[in-house]
Amino acid sequence: MPADRARWFWWPAIAAVLLLTPPLLGTYQLYLVNIALVNIVLAIGLNLLTGNAGQISLCNSSFMAIGAYACTLLSTKLGLSFWLALPVGGIVAMSFGCVLALPAMRLSGFYLALATLGFLEITQTMIEEFPGITGGIRGMIASRPTLFGWKLGSDLALYYAFMPIVACLVLVARNLIRSPVGRAFDAIRNSVPAAQSLGISPVRTKLIAFAIAALYAGLAGGLGAAVVGFIDPVEYGTGASLRHVTFIVVGGIGSISGSLVGAIVLTVLPELLRGLKEYSDFVYAALLLAFLLLLPKGLVGLGPMAARLWSREGRVSGPPLEARGGPAP
Amino acid sequence: MSADIALQLLFSGLSVGSVYALVALALVIPFKASGVLNFGQGEMVTLGAYIALALSLTTPLPYYAIVPLTLALAALVGVAFERLFIRPLVRAPEFTIVIGTFALGLMVKFAIRLYWQDNVYSLSVPFSTNPWIFGDVRINPVFVSIIACAVALVAALAFFFQRTRAGKAMRAVSQNQEAARLMGISVERVFSSTWALGTAIAALAGILFAPVTGIHPEIGNLILKAFVAAVIGGFDSLPGAVVGGLLLGLIETFSGAIVGSTFKNVIAFAVLILVLLVRPYGIFGSAGARRV
Amino acid sequence: MTFFVLDAVSVTFGGVIAVRDVSLSLERGEIRGLIGPNGAGKTSLINAVTGMVPISGGRIALEEREIGRLAPHQIAALGIGRTFQHVEIFADQTVLTNVLTGLHRHLSHGLWSSALMLPSARRGEAAARREAEGLLEAFDLGSYGDAVAGDLPYGILKRLDLARALAARPKLLLLDEPTSGMSEVEAAATIATARGLARDRDITLLVIEHNMRVIMALADRLTVLHHGEKIAEGTPAEVQADPLVIDAYLGDHADA
Repeated sequence: MPADRARWFWWPAIAAVLLLTPPLLGTYQLYLVNIALVNIVLAIGLNLLTGNAGQISLCNSSFMAIGAYACTLLSTKLGLSFWLALPVGGIVAMSFGCVLALPAMRLSGFYLALATLGFLEITQTMIEEFPGITGGIRGMIASRPTLFGWKLGSDLALYYAFMPIVACLVLVARNLIRSPVGRAFDAIRNSVPAAQSLGISPVRTKLIAFAIAALYAGLAGGLGAAVVGFIDPVEYGTGASLRHVTFIVVGGIGSISGSLVGAIVLTVLPELLRGLKEYSDFVYAALLLAFLLLLPKGLVGLGPMAARLWSREGRVSGPPLEARGGPAP
Repeated sequence: MSADIALQLLFSGLSVGSVYALVALALVIPFKASGVLNFGQGEMVTLGAYIALALSLTTPLPYYAIVPLTLALAALVGVAFERLFIRPLVRAPEFTIVIGTFALGLMVKFAIRLYWQDNVYSLSVPFSTNPWIFGDVRINPVFVSIIACAVALVAALAFFFQRTRAGKAMRAVSQNQEAARLMGISVERVFSSTWALGTAIAALAGILFAPVTGIHPEIGNLILKAFVAAVIGGFDSLPGAVVGGLLLGLIETFSGAIVGSTFKNVIAFAVLILVLLVRPYGIFGSAGARRV
Repeated sequence: MTFFVLDAVSVTFGGVIAVRDVSLSLERGEIRGLIGPNGAGKTSLINAVTGMVPISGGRIALEEREIGRLAPHQIAALGIGRTFQHVEIFADQTVLTNVLTGLHRHLSHGLWSSALMLPSARRGEAAARREAEGLLEAFDLGSYGDAVAGDLPYGILKRLDLARALAARPKLLLLDEPTSGMSEVEAAATIATARGLARDRDITLLVIEHNMRVIMALADRLTVLHHGEKIAEGTPAEVQADPLVIDAYLGDHADA
């Protein structure tokens, strides 16, 4: 059958590209690829929370920072193996995610956005207030991890070590979306009363969503610190959170492919704009606004849109139900 | 804490609180009318300061002429933004409004930064900034001028909303868009004018705050405190915004004297989360307050 | 034990008494119609039973268990399901996913087994899919499985709402105007399917209906509300002849 045949082709093809092309790339390109890996993890986590579960979160960068600091402190300063420090950092970030979920359970919309902003500001202040632990505004150096005694000094080595981790995280997220938990996310975003009538607890679902997003962001933080070699607290403020949101808005809200596309495109884009460094911030924000207003389904929405325009039998007959209050972002 | 220090803290608390109150009003007025909360309103504060700066550098106009001119220009910007960007967002999901207004604000900030860089400028004020001394108490005249301006503005707004046709139209739209429309009020025009008003008030806050912090692209960050103020006071209440702002200014200044200047931020945002948990509609708001 | 009991239940909204001292009891397997002119408090009553609004007086019990203070999802977990007057489908999900979500509390594969796509999760999903597809077929929605729900016409969505609610395998199912917006033919077919499934699965039905032809044929007994109070109860024949009922309907508005 065509579907099975496609599966036997695409998965090996993707694996081949992922495994065989990197040695052909230059050092800076490899660095970008590694950054893209980190951004993919960020985008996927945030998309589950905001795109699927419908929870506005402006503090994703805070969880990334918490993960980055925790992982780096444990590995660089305390000598714990990076491969242990990374998940621990993720879990620390996840517990903060659960803490944030407590007020989030009772809030939605603007109020939730404000609460997450408050959380972000508190985290930023805490980072700067304890320079003894975090290095304050001067930041913290993160050393490259070692694997079986061999230091992963080159970007290529780091790629081969990190790529499987990121691939697993992507697959786990994909599995979750197609599972009861994923359906519960989409349910509370679309209609809380209907979700409740089916036995889905909005509180528990929100908690899981925030926890997963924080976990992913925390893991991304640990990975990112190792890739960049340095933690700069300025990079974890509102601008960063908005950048994460841009990944999913530009790529496509609520889908794994959207997260992948958005993260990759927006990692590459600043490089294309390198000649216009000062303009890149402005372009980023303009891009976000443009997609929100004009292409709300993101880049992955272009495919189905084109397909609809091309196909003759686009719609089921009969007047469509007028969406009340508009569908989810 | 001695009386004179307490008095100084009181003045500085009230003055920073007045700025918060003004920016909170700049948030709440458009929100009440159109249901759109402008997460980029902080950059309108920044814009106001920079417009005044530009005017002072390029024209020979004195301060007292620059201020109203700035407000007028800011109002025009407000109308333009409302027509171009805000109008399409009115019926959008809240996520789109939050991120969209945020992005819009950032565009303004980055545009400002492109031209003016991160330099800190100053705007010369027409009065002496030497502190007034009463015995052991030193009071900064800038603080006094901020408080005075804020009081004057709030009084003007009260008159505007109670006595003028435009003000009453705004109140009508805030309460019930459909009914207002049926009464012949142009809801679209009210949207534009509330945004013009909100932007002008934000600009005024920027001008007033400029002597305190200098003019730089990050002035707009005080929007976060304005949010806290609006939450404390209640998002659908104008007196609430004022009270919330003053209260926050006082809480912040007095706690800052005790725990240091960075930690007072933590206190401010902890208050935010606490209020959101316990009484999200604030002191003066009502439980039913939701977007139209 | 009485299967389901409402005992002097009242529902108040900020001063307005939507439901006043209504008592009602259902036997297991019964089909009860809840009728009354518009504004009689029928939907408020359903909302109170499902926990979406609080009750200001009285008690509600399912199989002797008090549910008046429980959260909506807890009440659903005890076996009370519902459909909605204004649908409330998951608009940007496919029709199949909507029904799959209905199966939520009966699926045994949880967070961990799903995340790792263990064989048990794979089997669970496959079984769920088969059950969901079966329900779609029963309601003649088989060809819409992959369609996005929000694109579909109202009549189809009403059937979807019903299929989804049945997927949750409720013991007591509250239907809020299940045939509104449907043609007579569609209404008859939908109700026949619903009644058949209810009998097969031993589901008790409480149905709010304005279509008198439908409800008179469907229900074993009727309860009539007017201005938030129960004014009559009995078999369709008894209720149709009750002067209070006739008065209430002619006084406010007449139905076919």
